[in-house]
Amino acid sequence: MSLLREAQKCIANQAARKNLNAFINLAKKPALLRQAEDAKISSGRGALTGKLIAVKDNICTSDLPTTAASGILKSFTSPYDATVVQKVREVGGIVAGKTNLDEFGMGSHSTHSFFGAVKHVTDDGITALSAGGSSGGSAVAVATEQCWAALGTDTGGSVRLPAAYTGVVGFKPSYGLLSRWGVIAYANSLDTVGILARDTQSARKLFTALNAHDPQDPTSLRPSTRARLSSVLVRTPRKHPLRIGIPIEYNITELHPTVHATWIATLRLLAQHGHTLKPVYLPTTQHALSAYYILAPAEASSNLAKYDGVRYGSRVPGPDGSPSTNSVLFAATRGAGFGPEVKRRILLGTYTLSAEAIDNYFIQAQKVRRLVQADFDNTFRLPNVLLDPILDKATPTESDNDGGENRVDVLVCPTAPTLPPTLASLQLQSPVDAYMNDVFTVPASLAGLPAVSVPVWMKDQASGGAGSVGTVGIQVIAQFGDDELVLDVARMIEEAGRQIL
Amino acid sequence: MFACLSTSFPALLSRRAFVCRTCLRHIRRQQLSANSSIIHLQSRLLQTSTPAEDAVSFRKQLKDEAKMKRLERGSNPSKKKSKGRDPRLEKWELTVGIEIHAELNTARKLFSSAATSSSEAPNTHVALFDVAFPGSQPHFQRETLIPALRAAIALHCEIQSRSTFDRKHYFYQDQPAGYQITQYYEPFAKDGRITLYDHDGIAPEDGKSITIGIKQIQLEQDTAKTIQQPPSTHLLDFNRVSHPLIEIITLPHIHHPSTAAACVRKIQAILKTVNAVTAGMEMGGLRADVNVSVRERYRNVEAGHGNSYYGVTGLGQRTEIKNLSSFKAVEDAIIAERDRQIDVLEAGGVIEGETRGWTLGSTETKRLRGKEGEIDYRYMPDPDLGPVIIGQDVIRYLRESLPLLPERIEDMLVNSPEYGLTLKDSKTLAALDDGDRLDYYLDVVRILRKECKDDSKSLERVGRMAGNWVLHELGGHFSTAEQEWSESTVSSIQLASIILHLLRRQVTGRTAKILLSTIFHGDNRSVEQIIADENMTLRPMSRDEYLAFAKELLEENPDMVNAIQQKRQHGKIMYLVGQMVRRGDEGRVEAGTAELVLRELLEIPSET
Repeated sequence: MSLLREAQKCIANQAARKNLNAFINLAKKPALLRQAEDAKISSGRGALTGKLIAVKDNICTSDLPTTAASGILKSFTSPYDATVVQKVREVGGIVAGKTNLDEFGMGSHSTHSFFGAVKHVTDDGITALSAGGSSGGSAVAVATEQCWAALGTDTGGSVRLPAAYTGVVGFKPSYGLLSRWGVIAYANSLDTVGILARDTQSARKLFTALNAHDPQDPTSLRPSTRARLSSVLVRTPRKHPLRIGIPIEYNITELHPTVHATWIATLRLLAQHGHTLKPVYLPTTQHALSAYYILAPAEASSNLAKYDGVRYGSRVPGPDGSPSTNSVLFAATRGAGFGPEVKRRILLGTYTLSAEAIDNYFIQAQKVRRLVQADFDNTFRLPNVLLDPILDKATPTESDNDGGENRVDVLVCPTAPTLPPTLASLQLQSPVDAYMNDVFTVPASLAGLPAVSVPVWMKDQASGGAGSVGTVGIQVIAQFGDDELVLDVARMIEEAGRQIL
Repeated sequence: MFACLSTSFPALLSRRAFVCRTCLRHIRRQQLSANSSIIHLQSRLLQTSTPAEDAVSFRKQLKDEAKMKRLERGSNPSKKKSKGRDPRLEKWELTVGIEIHAELNTARKLFSSAATSSSEAPNTHVALFDVAFPGSQPHFQRETLIPALRAAIALHCEIQSRSTFDRKHYFYQDQPAGYQITQYYEPFAKDGRITLYDHDGIAPEDGKSITIGIKQIQLEQDTAKTIQQPPSTHLLDFNRVSHPLIEIITLPHIHHPSTAAACVRKIQAILKTVNAVTAGMEMGGLRADVNVSVRERYRNVEAGHGNSYYGVTGLGQRTEIKNLSSFKAVEDAIIAERDRQIDVLEAGGVIEGETRGWTLGSTETKRLRGKEGEIDYRYMPDPDLGPVIIGQDVIRYLRESLPLLPERIEDMLVNSPEYGLTLKDSKTLAALDDGDRLDYYLDVVRILRKECKDDSKSLERVGRMAGNWVLHELGGHFSTAEQEWSESTVSSIQLASIILHLLRRQVTGRTAKILLSTIFHGDNRSVEQIIADENMTLRPMSRDEYLAFAKELLEENPDMVNAIQQKRQHGKIMYLVGQMVRRGDEGRVEAGTAELVLRELLEIPSET
């Protein structure tokens, strides 16, 4: 199909699938077509020439508003493009529009949006399902072919969970590989730009186009570290068969039978391809979710303090906070501008950073985060390049005795414990129930590891029930910097998955 | 300038030249003036933490202080004097710790490449991060460390090889991000000290000197400037936001108000000397918060009782007085707060830990907020900013290239045979014109010493002579003309040339003064040219001519001769010397020779 035809098809789908609410703002149709036409002429120039890329609306664009799905930024347009957007444009990609999300990335179902919930419907077109969150708009736009691929952000699973729920590939690269300059911060130490695509090859293509050091982002991995990483990767060749780790702690009682069955089937297929399966223990995993829901809101409470309506964004009319009326500064603007989930997390974070609580919550959670990372470092064959070599040696490892025999190359586990819930059922859930969806995605986020969710056809279609979209998200996690391997294994599963079907 | 200073110190010369302060200043001006022609340092007030009082212009502040002084004297002349002998102070001991915020002398902001500025059009030097735009991130400007490190080294701190940035949260319109980035958990400098001497103005009770510990120095961001437009409009200028500051925190080692003021004054002088700050308190470049407590003397505090701070124990409950913007405000606020606390305690009350304010000209501190109103700043390590790693090589370089501190300069000027100035003159030199006068003096001495290097007799005299000419002769011209000091009105080369002609007895003292005056008032000719054109060269009179001239003078003044010879009023000889110099042909009579001849005729031996 020609680039232009492809673009036209996406644009047609955008119009037809408006009801899914995947986009907050779409690029103007004539402009999109003109860019696609231009791409036809200059075809072959860039890696993404003529491809329509949807961008999550917490990533800044100068030509379309950037709202983060928040009332407080409902009519905000950034004066600059995020580095990742700039890179998309540089290699010929076309920004299709800005996708809907949970406000500032806070949510697991893309329902907490000032612009209304994202909808995802079953193949029968009747039941509205959760698209997953927070990059639900990007996932739905990809799944329903309103774009070729999409950018999302993943703080605790926000790319992988919607990918799993909508049946697309969702890739969260290692922290620091893709620039965050221009990405509206939710929790900086966890925020990662991620990619949603219909297959692993497309995801890899987009990832490769964006993967570069950016001096604008102080947390961007420096060229020196990237070079060190390359040399470590060269020194640690992963030849077939791979050692695939099965994290025992992920086999929880809440695991949906279909998810469980699909996971087992996937592992079996990998074994059939000659790979070795190994059970691994990640004892801190059970504390990871709690730690995440301390750390992310703590950073969020700090990052979102800037929204006061003074310099940009929405502001309530009249005075906002004065000693004469005994009202708190900016309380009216922030009260009106933020949605309930954002307010909940700001309050949570404000509390865990307060003088009386910081030791018991924030500090403890940081320690748990370190332990989670240590768990992973003790599991993978590849050393963590971020660690000081001396420190690395000081950490007691199994490898000292067994030469790394028990270590693995990747972990394979479900992306989420359940199939996508119906939007209706979410009404009955408490906020904490929603947090549970992140239980398998959060550990990799805490450790900054590369992880991808890849759709696998369900082992047992019958048990899928009403929530069925036909696939289950299976997650591949590897050591920091081992992004190519994660995509390689995802590709294997993708191909093997067709066999399951 | 200190670049030149090094050349007069062989030990330092061998290492490297200093970065010239004047040059730096010029560079800075050039950079900043890209947008506007001239930089005028205007009254700027630092808002260091939470908002407190409205900005008061420095001029007004001085007026208020002067007015208060007059009122104090008029209404209650004995009050001030009696303070030192207040019997209550026998019972109660004051303890003070100070936090000083100083604006660093840097070209760029702390976390963006936007230029620092003080008087540009509002909101013209602002990067995205400075105003907290969504998606923007901090870019730590490493160069801002240089003045900060100089300050820390000058205050004898231990520089931390690793330090980190934290966010201090509070809402205010001058704080765009909703937090200030500071160094709370791991500051870059710790455990320093400053020694104050009696001549620094410490309280007599502190004796000859007192050393005050410095707990830490941290880097942090300044806030935006709020311009009030009553009744309810606040205009915001973000040019100042994120200007790099250092906060210097002393230990509670101070027990007298005047010592506290001396401490702030001396820290300011040190910061200026090492070129760490843009401006002093008078320009709003420096602000102080003081922590004040009192405790009963001679009362053994049981272990575990009382408050403690960083190893200093047994303290009374402290209060904090924020945003003091002059040395006098520091001293007066402490006195007022000490007296208030003693009043409360003597009346059987309890001091509450609270934040108080001080308005210039008032007699008491005012409660701003109590403990219950304290803001929980929720310090959190900034997740975007990695640790600052400072190499030993940088510290070593800066330590070696640090300009001499004021007290070292004074010591050198008094005790080094190259200079041999009085303590008074050396203090004056060091204090004048932000050190520019001292630089000028050192220049003059350097030139003279080079010219006289084979003349040990002259070498001994040049330091003192240059001091006299720089401070008194040239200084006199500036004050008479009511002009501000400028090193270019009479260049150091010109002044050295005048002094050299005098030293070499090529002109008389009187001629030298005329030369200085001529050049000061705008004559562009070289000293040599003026001397040649105006026929000013000393044409020494012969001994016979001197004798004849002196005899003539003595004959005209028999009463004077009588007074000198009979009444031994030897001082009158100098009157006669003056007469000879004045009545003789211009530039011919040397005072020294005239005196010798007169003494010979009067038969009064020289007094040396």
